[in-house]
Amino acid sequence: MRERTNEQWLTDLRGPNPDEAFADLYDLLVRGLRVGLGSYGGGVDANVGDFAQEALIKITGNLDSFRGESRFTTWAQKIAMNVALTELKRRRWRDVSLHELFARREAANREPADTQLSPEQLALQNTVLQELRRMVGEELTDRQQEAVVAVILEGMPVSEVARRMDTNQNALYKLLHDARRKLKRQMEASGLSPQEVLAAFEEG
Amino acid sequence: MLKRDDIVKLVRVVAETHETEIGCDACFERLDIFAETELSGVDASAAMPLVGDHLDKCADCRSKFEALLTALRGT
Repeated sequence: MRERTNEQWLTDLRGPNPDEAFADLYDLLVRGLRVGLGSYGGGVDANVGDFAQEALIKITGNLDSFRGESRFTTWAQKIAMNVALTELKRRRWRDVSLHELFARREAANREPADTQLSPEQLALQNTVLQELRRMVGEELTDRQQEAVVAVILEGMPVSEVARRMDTNQNALYKLLHDARRKLKRQMEASGLSPQEVLAAFEEG
Repeated sequence: MLKRDDIVKLVRVVAETHETEIGCDACFERLDIFAETELSGVDASAAMPLVGDHLDKCADCRSKFEALLTALRGT
């Protein structure tokens, strides 16, 4: 592949004969995806061509949004990683619905209180637990509560929860940020220091 | 319903919450610059603290950053 400056990439891709630049960019994306997704293992390698092709369409359709603050090839590889990882997460989580996630969670046997705890420690934990339950129930909207459970407590990707809640990743992150801010303010107002809470539960 | 073993997870993320945080779109917008900054040997989180903070909090965006960085180092 011949080296190109950012300007040369843009000129070649927009020019009357973009085939060589397309081919070079495709090869670069495939190499980058193979290396970047190496840790994902199983079956990913067979899909890198499709991911690169889809990324190429997005890249060439959005050349005007490239502002030249990084190398063009870095910008292009960023888009390819986004295409690939969004799809890989969608596949990994495709069989999990929020309804099932919540039902499984409610049915699961949770760790009982540590029997080694002193009565004082246990009482403190129970007070904190009740107070946090109240804050979550009273301060957060139903959607915020769902997002908190799915993303923060159950570890589902933001993008996948967003898909199921008919929103997008950015909006769901902001919804979660609002929820975290509300809880932080409420904890401060109630005199619950996060450090003390963590000490009470982690040391227990 | 919050369970006893949820508390540490929840309180950890609440403790790390800032009034001002950027969203996933703003993070993605700067991710290529952040990755190149990191590759240049500069502490990218110090240079672009809002992006660094978002990457600490958002596993979705962090996975894209890590894959990009690995690709840039290996190609």
